[in-house]
Amino acid sequence: MKFFKLALRNVFRNKRRTSITFLSIIAGMIALIVFGGFVEYSFWGLRESTIHSQLGHIQIFKKGYSEKGRSNPGEYLIKDFRSIEKKLYRLPEIELVTARLSFSGLISTGEKTLTCKGFGVIPEREKKLASFETLKEGSHLSAENKDEILVGVELKKSLGANMGDYLTILTTNSFGMINAGDLKLIGTGQSGSAEYDAVFVKIPLNAAQTLLDTQSIEKVVILLSKTEDTEKVVKKIQQIIDDNNLDLEIRTWDQLATYYNSVVRLYNGIFNVIKVIIAIIVFFSIANTMIMSIFERVKEIGTLRAIGTKKSGIMQMFLWEGFFVGVLGGILGIIAGVLVALIINISGGIYIPPPPGMGVGYQSLIFVVPEVLIYSYLSTVIVSTLSSIYPAAKAIRLYIVEAIAHT
Amino acid sequence: MTKQIINLKNIDKEYKLGQTKITALKDVSLDIQAGEFISVCGPSGSGKTTLLNIIGCLDTPTKGNVKIIEKDVINYSDAKLSELRNKYIGFIFQSFNLIPVLSTFENVDYPLVLLGMKKKQRQEKVHAILSEVGLYDHKKHRPDELSGGQRQRVAIARALVTNPKLVLADEPTANLDHKTGVAILDLMQKMNEEHNCTFIFSTHDPEVMKYAKKIYHLRDGEIQKQGKRS
Ligand SMILES: Nc1ncnc2c1ncn2[C@@H]1O[C@H](COP(=O)(O)OP(=O)(O)O)[C@@H](O)[C@H]1O
Ligand SMILES: [Mg+2]
Repeated sequence: MKFFKLALRNVFRNKRRTSITFLSIIAGMIALIVFGGFVEYSFWGLRESTIHSQLGHIQIFKKGYSEKGRSNPGEYLIKDFRSIEKKLYRLPEIELVTARLSFSGLISTGEKTLTCKGFGVIPEREKKLASFETLKEGSHLSAENKDEILVGVELKKSLGANMGDYLTILTTNSFGMINAGDLKLIGTGQSGSAEYDAVFVKIPLNAAQTLLDTQSIEKVVILLSKTEDTEKVVKKIQQIIDDNNLDLEIRTWDQLATYYNSVVRLYNGIFNVIKVIIAIIVFFSIANTMIMSIFERVKEIGTLRAIGTKKSGIMQMFLWEGFFVGVLGGILGIIAGVLVALIINISGGIYIPPPPGMGVGYQSLIFVVPEVLIYSYLSTVIVSTLSSIYPAAKAIRLYIVEAIAHT
Repeated sequence: MTKQIINLKNIDKEYKLGQTKITALKDVSLDIQAGEFISVCGPSGSGKTTLLNIIGCLDTPTKGNVKIIEKDVINYSDAKLSELRNKYIGFIFQSFNLIPVLSTFENVDYPLVLLGMKKKQRQEKVHAILSEVGLYDHKKHRPDELSGGQRQRVAIARALVTNPKLVLADEPTANLDHKTGVAILDLMQKMNEEHNCTFIFSTHDPEVMKYAKKIYHLRDGEIQKQGKRS
C-alpha cells in the first residue's frame, strides 16, 4: 500500500499517454460488450424461436419414444391425453398444454405430388405456441374439427397450389394401411428455415388422427410463462408421473434443440477467440505505453531506489499503476460499451443477413448482460495489472547510479 | 573517542567501455568519523561521483573493502542495501532529483513511509524539518512550482528527515547561482551541527570547498592530500 499514492499520481501524469491507454481499453471493452451482447441476443432469439415455433419448453412422450419411437411412431403413442392435461394444468408455471401427432407422407394437388412432414395440432392452442412462425398468407387453422391445411411457403410454391385448393394427403395409418384425406389450403407459414418451409404442413389434430386411424397423440407439448422455470417444472411433472405410475418420459427444450446447442457451442468458441485477441491487444498496448513512460522516468526511478526503495517496491508501484489503469479504464470501458449497445439498440439493431438454412435475415439487438460486463471489467483489470509486469521488470533492472544522473 | 562511520580500504573502481578499461578510483582508502563535515574536491572526471556512490551503497567497487556504519556492506543483498540507505543515509543530488508527482510534503514524507512509520509521527517530523529549511509554507507545492534553491532545500529536508547517520551531497550547488549555493551550504552546515550527522559533499568549486572542515582532493581517481580548513 506504500506505493498506492505514487502509482495513482503516475497514472495521471502524462494525460496524452493515459488517454491512449484508456482508449485501447475502451475499444477492447466496447468490442467485448457489444459482441457479448450480440451473442446473448442471438442465443435468446434462437432459444425462444426454437421453443415457440417447434419445441415448447417441455415435451412428454410415451416411455421409450426417444430411443425407439422414431422408427415406429405408431407403437409409442399416448392414449390418455385429456387426463394428463388436466393434471398438468394444476401447475401455475404452465401457460399452455397441447398435443401433436406427426406423420410423414405425400401431398398432392392432383397434378403434382411431393413428400411432406405433417403435424396434427390443436389449432387454438398452436396459435399461441407458434408465435415465432409467421403467417405469410391466408389464415391460421381455425378449429379442430375442420378439414383445413396450412403449408410452408416453399412447399406451396413447389406444389403450384392456390389458396382455397383442396390438397390430398397420403399416409400409412398405424396398421400399415394407406389412407388419404382431402384438406382445404387456407394459409402458408414461414419458420425462418427454408428447408423446413419446403416440407411442413399443419392440419387439425382430429384430421391427423383420422388419417392415422387412432385416438392417441404422439407427444404433449408444454409452454411455460418463463423459460427459466423449465428445470423446476420438470421436477414437478416427474413427481406427477411417479405418483400416478404413468408410462411417460420427459424431454426439455435444450435436450431436443440440437441446432440451438451447436450454435451456442460455435458462438462461444468464436467469442473465446475474440476475447483472447482483445486481451492480447490491450495487454501489449498498455505494456507499450508503460515502457515508454519508463524512459521518461529513469531519473526518478533511480532516485526512488537510491533513497531506499527496494526492487519489490518498484514492482509494486508498477503493478498498482497497471491496476489503476485497469480499474479506471474499465469503468470508462463499461460506460462506453453500454452506451454503444444502447445506441445500436435505439437505432434498430444490426442487420444480420439470413444465416445458412434460414429464409430471412433479422435485426440483432445487443443485450447488455451483467455477466458480460463483470467478465470484461475483471479481465480488463487483470490484463492491465499483468501488463505492468514487464515494464516493471525493466525498471528494476536500471543501474541506479546511471539512472540518478540521467537527464 | 568518536565513532568511525566510513571505512574504505584499497578501493579500486574500473569501468569497462568496450575494450578499454577506465579506472575511476585507484587504491582509495578513507576513514571518516561521525559528525564530520567533509568535502571531496577535484576536477570533473576525477572520481568524486564514483566515490560518493560507493560510500552511499549505490555502487560496488571492483576491488577493496567497504565498511559503512560498521557494516560490511560488500556482501549485502540489494534489498538489505536499500534498507540501509533508507535508514542511515541521506542523499542530496546535483539536480535535486525530487519526485515530480509528489508535493514538497510528500517528497519529504516518502522516506518515512518507506520506513513504515505511523502517519501522525511522520507528519510531525516532516513539518519540523520543513520549518527548519524554511519551506513550511510551500509544503503543498509541486517541485516544478519551486525555484532551484527551494528544491535543493526540499532535497535536504528529505535527506535529513529520517535522522540519518550520513548525508552525501554530490555537487549540491553546481546547479545553483552563487548566492543560493552559499545559502544551501550554510543550511547544510547548520544541519550538520544541529543533527550531529556526518556530511560529505563533493565540489570542484574552491569557494564551496572552504566550508568543509576537512577536504579530500581527488585527482584521476586517487586521493592526493588531506587538507584542513585554514
Ligand atoms: N558508468 C560509467 N561508465 C564508464 N565510465 C564512467 C562511468 N561513470 C564514470 N565513468 C568515468 O569514471 C571517471 C570518474 O567519473 P566521476 O566519478 O563521474 O567523476 P566526477 O564526479 O569527479 O566528475 C570518469 O573518467 C568517467 O568518465
Ligand atoms: Mg560527478
